[in-house]
Amino acid sequence: MPTQLTSKRFQVPDTVDLVEFCFQQGWSDGLPVVPPTVDRVQTMLEAAGLDAKHEVGFITNRSVSITAEKVAINAVMAGCKPEYMPVVVAAVEAIADPLWSYHGPGTSTGGAGVLMIVNGPIARELDINAGDNLFGPGWRSNLAIGRALRLVMRNVCGSLPGLLDRGTLGHPGKLSYVIAENEAESPWTPLHVERGFRPEQSAVTIMAANGPSQFYNQLSNTAEGVLTTLADNMRISGGVMGQPNYALIIAGEHMRTIAADGWDKARIRQFVWEHTQNSHAHLKRTQLMPGSVQAGDETKLRPLVDKPEHFLVVAAGGRAGAFSCYVPGWGSQRTSQAVTKEIKRRGV
Amino acid sequence: MAELLDPTTEAVTQPIAYVPRPNSLRGKRVALIENTKFNSDNLLVKIGNILVNDYGAASARMWRKKNAGVPAHEEIVAEVQQTCDVVVAGVGD
Repeated sequence: MPTQLTSKRFQVPDTVDLVEFCFQQGWSDGLPVVPPTVDRVQTMLEAAGLDAKHEVGFITNRSVSITAEKVAINAVMAGCKPEYMPVVVAAVEAIADPLWSYHGPGTSTGGAGVLMIVNGPIARELDINAGDNLFGPGWRSNLAIGRALRLVMRNVCGSLPGLLDRGTLGHPGKLSYVIAENEAESPWTPLHVERGFRPEQSAVTIMAANGPSQFYNQLSNTAEGVLTTLADNMRISGGVMGQPNYALIIAGEHMRTIAADGWDKARIRQFVWEHTQNSHAHLKRTQLMPGSVQAGDETKLRPLVDKPEHFLVVAAGGRAGAFSCYVPGWGSQRTSQAVTKEIKRRGV
Repeated sequence: MAELLDPTTEAVTQPIAYVPRPNSLRGKRVALIENTKFNSDNLLVKIGNILVNDYGAASARMWRKKNAGVPAHEEIVAEVQQTCDVVVAGVGD
C-alpha cells in the first residue's frame, strides 16, 4: 500500500522544462536531476520497505530529521534505481551516527567527501564497481548512490556549497565517492567482516575523506617493496597532524604481489603504520608541528594514525596496472571516525 | 501539469531565549570557549586579557570543547552558567 507523502508539492505546467525547474529551485549539485514525481518516490520507498515518515537519521547539530521520504526524493533525483535505496538509507544512517559527527566533515574548509565502501552480496547484485576505473566513470550504481547521499546532505542537511559546506577546495569525490571491495578476487578478509559483520551480510563503510592519491610501483615483486613505496608516498599527506582514518586501496597487481608473500590485512596495516611515522624534527622543519627543533626530536616519532586499525585496507581496482592508492581521511579520530552500517533489505 | 515533491527540509524550530547583552563588561566574569584548533587558545588568552585590562572585566577563564565540530558539551555549559556572566565563543580557523 502506498505510504503517505507529506512533502510540499509543486505543480509545474507542461510548458516548463522539469529539469530546468529543479535547477531553478536550487535542488541540484550542478548536473541535471531526474524530476522527483510522486510515482517515482513511492516506488523508491517501496523498494526500501520504509514508511515515508520513518526517521532514517537525526543530525543533532543541525536539528534536522532525515525522513525516508526525503531520502527517496533525493535518490530519485540522483538517478538511483529503486533497488539502490537500501544502500542509500544505510549511508544516511552512517552520516547521522555521532561517531561520524556530521557537522565537522559536512561543513569544514577541509573539504571532505564521503567515501563509501560497499561490501557483501548486494555489491555484486547492484553491479557496484570494484574493478577497472574504480573511482569512475562508467557505473550507474557507483555514481547514483554517492550522488544521492550528497543531495541529501545538500537538500536535507543544509550542506550548501558556500554556506554550510565551506570546503576551500573540495574534490570531485564530493559528487560521488562509492566503491565496492573486490571480494570475488581478494585473498583477504572483507572490510565489513573485519568490522564485525558476517560475510553474507551487506554493509557500507563511510569515511570522511580527501581525494584518492595514486602511487606507482612497477618494480617490486614483494609485499615489502610495494608497501615501502606506499608508505613513502603517504608519510606526509592529507591532514598528517590530525591522525584520522586512512583507506588503503590495493588494486589487482599489487594485491596479488602482496598476497603471494602471505601477508594479510593485519600485517599490511602494521607495516604501513610502522613505516609512515614522522620524526618530530621533520614535522617541525616542514611547518606542520609548531615550535623549534629540540634535542631528541630527530628520534621522537609520531605515527600517521593513532593505531594500525585506523587504516582501512580494501582490495579494489583494476586487475592490470601496478598502481594502488591511499585516501587520507578528514580531520582526526576526535572529530570524525569511519562508521559501518548494515544494508538492510526490508523491501520486496 | 506535472507534480514534483520538495527534496528540501528545514531545521526543527527551537526557541532560544537570549539573555540581554550587558551594557558594560565592568565586573563581569568572562567565559572563553576554546574550539581546540591551533592557536585558538592563544588568541582567546589575548582577548581575555584585553577584556580584563581594558574593559574592567572581573575575570576571564577558558574552557576547551571536545572538538571544533561539536557544540560545547553539557559540563561546560553547566559550569559556565554557574560561574560566568558573559561568553566569548567563535567558530573558525
